Amino acid sequence: MPPREGPQAAPLPATPTGTAPSATASARPVGAYPWLEPTSEEYVGWDVDVLYGPWPRHDRDTGLAEVRAHLAASPVAGALALSTRGVLYDDAGGNAETVRDLADCPELRPVGTVDLRDALTAEARLDELGAAGVRFLRLFTVDQGAEPDFPGYRRVVRLAVERGMALLHDGDPRRFGPPLTGCGADVVFLDLHAYLLADFLLLARDEPGFRATTRMLSAPDSIERVVESVGSRHLVFGSRTPFMDLSPQTLKLRYARIPADDRAAIATRNVEELLA
Amino acid sequence: MPIIDVHAHVGRWQFHLTAGDADANLRQMDRYGIDHQLVSASEAVVYDAVAGNAALYKALATRPRLHGYAVVNPNRIDESAADLRRCLDTGRFVGVKIHTHYPGRLPGSPEMAAAFDLVAEAGVPLLLHTWGSEVTLLPELVEARPGLRVIVGHAGGDAWREAARAAAACDRLYLEHCRTATDAGRIAYARETGVPVERILFGTDSTLIDPCVSLGVIRDAHFAPDELERVLWRNAAELFGLKV
Repeated sequence: MPPREGPQAAPLPATPTGTAPSATASARPVGAYPWLEPTSEEYVGWDVDVLYGPWPRHDRDTGLAEVRAHLAASPVAGALALSTRGVLYDDAGGNAETVRDLADCPELRPVGTVDLRDALTAEARLDELGAAGVRFLRLFTVDQGAEPDFPGYRRVVRLAVERGMALLHDGDPRRFGPPLTGCGADVVFLDLHAYLLADFLLLARDEPGFRATTRMLSAPDSIERVVESVGSRHLVFGSRTPFMDLSPQTLKLRYARIPADDRAAIATRNVEELLA
Repeated sequence: MPIIDVHAHVGRWQFHLTAGDADANLRQMDRYGIDHQLVSASEAVVYDAVAGNAALYKALATRPRLHGYAVVNPNRIDESAADLRRCLDTGRFVGVKIHTHYPGRLPGSPEMAAAFDLVAEAGVPLLLHTWGSEVTLLPELVEARPGLRVIVGHAGGDAWREAARAAAACDRLYLEHCRTATDAGRIAYARETGVPVERILFGTDSTLIDPCVSLGVIRDAHFAPDELERVLWRNAAELFGLKV
């Protein structure tokens, strides 16, 4: 269950397909911008893409308290999160920090990482994460310069899949997807762009464990195409808070022309299955 | 309050998505309360500027809520000059769109300089696709051409800090932030850098990107009501001389 109960998602009003568009702009009451206020269709039980801590390339850093406050003021109820320390500086220390920090954060679940530049230590890192009950392993191939055919990357993935961990995976699914096929892996691709959707759908047809976040599925019918083609089980919500604006993500969920049950699966249920 | 979207397109895209025709634009506009949209033809952007502009004119003829950008190809400057005159003479084109990726020309190239000259002479606003550090060249290029006003489309993409600094340095540069990856803090950074709210515009990249993405960016920018009015329509109405 999500850490707090949200409003029940209501079905969107029917889209007036087949109706003639307005030739002239319709008059609206002053200040009537419905998208300015969140609705129940924007409720998210689990956001799989949240970080906290220093990031040198950014203008400012966002600590855990600020991230929590940001989420608390949003439609997002819970998140899978990790400290940036493990990404950029010290995977063992970062993982320990994440587990320690989030122990007192009921709305957050810890995510671990392994530095792909030093995969010889991956086994120890994964053992530590397993002992701490961490279910998700996030890979940072872009920031750590790893390619799909690098020995270190392949070792980390193999060890994680053998342990039944779910992978939160950055990078291009067209490049990283094929090596991950055929091994029953649970993978959430965090960087699927609308431009790459056709290739992801081809992968997802044969891989029930392949999922993607809606973050960069920005075309007018990207989410709808996934739901219609392979089903909503292949989508989850990921915002990349605090690095990205959150409202564009929740509004995409709200305005997607999909049944309420599919919206709830994307926003909450699919991640709960991975958490189980 | 109305909404004017200064960055949109009509026509198909080469990706796994549904773009539809000009009526699809209008249906999206109705859905989100967008009253007017400034559009270029995707055909003109990615393939054939003259043919795409001509096809767009036919679509504009019966759709007064859509206003055209004539696409100028910097590699076909003489052809584009004649075509731009034709487009502007119709009264349905209100600006020029220049892409950089598809023609393979960036600000700083002689071809782009000639295209800027052409737009300055025409006296209409330019929506320029920007995606990278080339935005740092814009203040000098614009200052050298009296009257030229440039919308920094996508606000530089990854180079949004550089775009903000460029716009702060030149009062004829306008920022428009549509993008799939909505980096947090872009509008706040622009304002802190010195870009006045009067030079921030609303654009969506529809029908390539769903308008709700840019609406979300506006929501997270937390504009005051009078600022929201400026960004969502008043700045664009003044820049393009649109009666709303």
